[in-house]
Amino acid sequence: MKDAQILWVSLSKQSAKEVPFLADNYAKFLGGRGLGVKLLYDRVNPEIDPLSPDNLLIFAVGPLTATSVPTAGRFAVVTKSPLTGTIFDSNCGGYFGPQLRRAGFTAVVIEGRATSPVYLWINDNEIEFRSAEPVWGKEVSNTTDHLLDETDSKAQVACIGPAGENQVKLASIMSDKHRAAGRGGVGAVMGAKNLKAVVIQGTKKVTVSDEKQLDQVVSRVRRLLKKDSITNKSLPVYGTAVLVNLINEYGLLPTHNFQEGTFNDAEGVSGEKLLERIFVKKYHCFGCPIGCGRITRAYGEEGGGPEYETIWALGPQCGVNDLEWIAAANNRCNELGLDTISLGSTIGCAMELVQKGNLDAQLSFGDTEGLIKLIDEIALAKGLGAELGEGSKTLATQYNAPELAMQVKGLELPAYDPRGVQGHALASATSNRGGCHLRGYMIGPEILGSPVLVDRDRIEGKAGLVNLFQNLSAAMDSMILCRFTTFAFSVQDYADLVTAATNLSVNGKELLQIGERIWNLERLFNLREGFSAKDDCLPPRFSTPLPEGGSRNRIVHLEKMLPEYYRLRGWSSKGYPSEAKLKQLNIQ
Amino acid sequence: MPITVDELAKLIDHTRLKPETKRTKIQELCEEALTYEFASVCINPVHVEFAAELLSGSSVDVCVVIGFPLGATLTEVKAFEAQEVVRKGATEVDMVINVGALRDKNYDFVRSDIREVVNAAEGAIVKVILETGLLIDEEKRQGCIISKEAGAHFVKTSTGFGPMGATPYDVQLMRETVGNKLGVKAAGGIRTFKDAIRMVNAGATRLGTSSGVSIVEGYRWAGYSDAWLEPDKPCWTCPSRQASLAKQPKDVYLWYKERCVTCPHRDENIFND
Repeated sequence: MKDAQILWVSLSKQSAKEVPFLADNYAKFLGGRGLGVKLLYDRVNPEIDPLSPDNLLIFAVGPLTATSVPTAGRFAVVTKSPLTGTIFDSNCGGYFGPQLRRAGFTAVVIEGRATSPVYLWINDNEIEFRSAEPVWGKEVSNTTDHLLDETDSKAQVACIGPAGENQVKLASIMSDKHRAAGRGGVGAVMGAKNLKAVVIQGTKKVTVSDEKQLDQVVSRVRRLLKKDSITNKSLPVYGTAVLVNLINEYGLLPTHNFQEGTFNDAEGVSGEKLLERIFVKKYHCFGCPIGCGRITRAYGEEGGGPEYETIWALGPQCGVNDLEWIAAANNRCNELGLDTISLGSTIGCAMELVQKGNLDAQLSFGDTEGLIKLIDEIALAKGLGAELGEGSKTLATQYNAPELAMQVKGLELPAYDPRGVQGHALASATSNRGGCHLRGYMIGPEILGSPVLVDRDRIEGKAGLVNLFQNLSAAMDSMILCRFTTFAFSVQDYADLVTAATNLSVNGKELLQIGERIWNLERLFNLREGFSAKDDCLPPRFSTPLPEGGSRNRIVHLEKMLPEYYRLRGWSSKGYPSEAKLKQLNIQ
Repeated sequence: MPITVDELAKLIDHTRLKPETKRTKIQELCEEALTYEFASVCINPVHVEFAAELLSGSSVDVCVVIGFPLGATLTEVKAFEAQEVVRKGATEVDMVINVGALRDKNYDFVRSDIREVVNAAEGAIVKVILETGLLIDEEKRQGCIISKEAGAHFVKTSTGFGPMGATPYDVQLMRETVGNKLGVKAAGGIRTFKDAIRMVNAGATRLGTSSGVSIVEGYRWAGYSDAWLEPDKPCWTCPSRQASLAKQPKDVYLWYKERCVTCPHRDENIFND
C-alpha cells in the first residue's frame, strides 16, 4: 500500500500541511475509524479536556471511499468525546466523504482552536481559513447554503448548528443538511475549536490497485444486495423505520424510558405509516443502491428523515405517537445540529425524573407541548435545556437518580431493549464508545435472521458472535462501508473488496484481525482514560424483568457472558488486553 | 463446518415456481445456477426449453415440476406432462403425489399414478412430492413406501405452496422410511444456511429453495464462528409449531397439536421466542 495523505490543520496557527499516514499503518488500520483511532491514541495526551484545543478532531475516509463499491461514500469523525470521555468515532453518509478523497486526502486532522469563528475551505490542494462570522449562530440549512454560495455549489459541507457552537454535549456534525455524524457530541468538539464548517471540493481521480478485479467483485456484491430481502425490499420500501413494528412485536421497543418494551401506538409511527402519510421521496447516499433515506413532509415543510432510531427516541421513548410531530422535531434537531438518539433519550429520562418526583418541570410522557421549545433550549444551552444538554447520565445523577439514565459509559442506548436480546446486551455493555447498536449489530442475527436467526435468549455462543461483529464493524468503519451491507455481504466479500482496491492482499480472517487491532487500541485508549471492566455494564433496570409484551419476564444475563467475552478477546478478567494479545496484534 | 460451501451448493435445486415469473428471472436463475454450480434449476414446465438451452453442456440439471402444485390432476395428464418436459430438455421431474388418494388409503391408485410418471419420464430422475403439511406421520411413511415401490428416485417434502415447509423432523422420518438407496429432497421454507444444514443433518440429499444464493453466500459466515449452528429452541423446527387450522384439514391440524401435549419440550414453548 502507498502512504495515505493527511491534511494536518492547526486552527491556532491558521496553518495546514500535508503529512503521510505511513503505508505500514495504513495496512494495519486501513483508513476511517482505524486511522483516526491510531492518530488519536498516539497524539492525544491522557485526560485532556475533550473541549480543549488539545483534542484532535479527525475527518477520515478509507481505501474504498469514492470507488465504485456500493455505499462507499461515508466518512468517520474521530475524537475524544465530551459526552463519554471515551475514544469516539461517529460515522456519516451523504456526499462529503467522496469529496475529501477526491481532494487527495484520506483524513483532515484538526488541532488547536481558532481565535474567532472560521470555516475551512479545501479546494483540492488549496486550503483557506475563512471567517465564519456571517454564519455563526445560523442553523444548518442556512449555513450550508451560505457557504456553498461563498465557495462552489458543487462542494460539500460538514458543519455544526447552534448546538455545536454552544458546545452542547449532544451536538452533531451535519452534512448535506440532514445527514449526521450524530453521536458523542462531536459537534461540540468542533464548536469548541471555533470551527463552523469544513467545505470540500475534490476533483482528482480516485484510483484503485486493480480496477478489473474490483469491477468483478463489485458486480458480485451488487448482485448480493439485489438478492437480499432486507437490502432489496425492506429498506428501500420503508427505510429504517421498517423496524418499528417488528421490534415492537418482539417487545423490544423501549417505551417511556425503557420502563416497557411495547408501545401501544407503534403502528402509528411505523415505516408503513410513514410511507402512507409523510413520505415524499427516497434519499440515496453516495454510491448506494439501497436508498434507505427518506425525505418527508411535516407541517408543510420537507426534511430528511426521520430514521428508525429518531422515531423511537422522539416517539415511544417519550410516549409520543404523533408521526408528523416526530418528523417536525427531527427537522428541528437537524437544523440545530443535535443527536436525536441522545436528545430523545435524555428527554425521556427527564420525563421519568418528573414522573418519579425527582425533577420539577412541565414534562410528561406523551405530551408534546413545549417540547420543540425545549429542543431549542437544549441547543442554546438555556434553562432546563442546558441541563439536558449534558446528557442523561449527568442529568439523572444531578437529580439523585443515576439509575434512570439509560446509558452505557455516558452514551444513551439506542432503540432496542437489551432484555430481549442477550447478544445485543453484551455488545452494548462492551462497546468502546458506550451505548451503541452499531459497534456490533447483533440485532441482525438475533432478530432479523441475518445471516441466520440465532436464539435471542441463548447466552452460549454470544460472546463469540459479538467479537466477530465488533471486529468486522471496526474494519468496515475503516474502509468505509455502510453497516447495512452486512445483510448481504459476508466477511470474505469485504476482504475481496479491500484486496482489489488496494494492493493489500487480505483474506477474511486477516481483515477481522485488522478490526480486532482497532478494537484493542480503542480499549487501550479508554483504559488510559480510567475506564475499566466496571464500565462494561448496563443500567440496573435491565436486571428487572419486562412486565409484558414479546420479551416479558426477560432480564439481561451479562455476568454470564462477560467472562467468556474477555477470554475470547484475550483480555484479563479485569478487561485488560494481555501482552500476548497485543504482541499478536502488533500493537506497541 | 459440516460440509464445504461447494458441497452445499451441489445439493441445491435452485428454484423459481411463482406464477408471475418472467423470462428474465429464469435467465437470472440459470446464470446463478451456473455460477454457483447448483444441482439443478427447478422451474415450471413452460420454461423448460429456455432453461435447457441456457444450461446446455453444463453440469446443472433442468428440473421441472409436474402436476404442480396440487397433484390432483389426471394420471394421464401428469404422464403426458412428464413425457413432454423430458422431451424438451428436462432431466429431472418433481411430481406431486395424489394427496387425497393417499389420505383415502387408495394405495394402488397412488402407486400407479407415480409409476405412470416414472415410465413416461424415460429414465429422468423422478421425485415425488408428498406435501407433508397435509399428512400425518403414518401417511408420510406410506407415501414414501409407495414412491419407492413405484420406482421413484427421490421423495420430497413439500411444494412450497402448501400449509407447511420442510422440517428436519419430516426429513428424518422420510429418510428412515426409504433407507439409503432413495434420495430425500427437503423443500419449502429453506431460506438460510442454518435451515439447509439442519435438513442435511436430518438426512436430506437435495434441497429445494429459491434462496440458493443467500444460503451459499451466508454459509461463508460459518467459517468464522461455530455459534451460528448452535441448537435452537426445539419448537422452532417442529412441524407442530407450524401447524395452522386455516391451512390444514382439521384432523391433521389436531394431530399435530396433540403432539404438543406430550412433548418433553412443552415448557420451552414460550410466548414470542
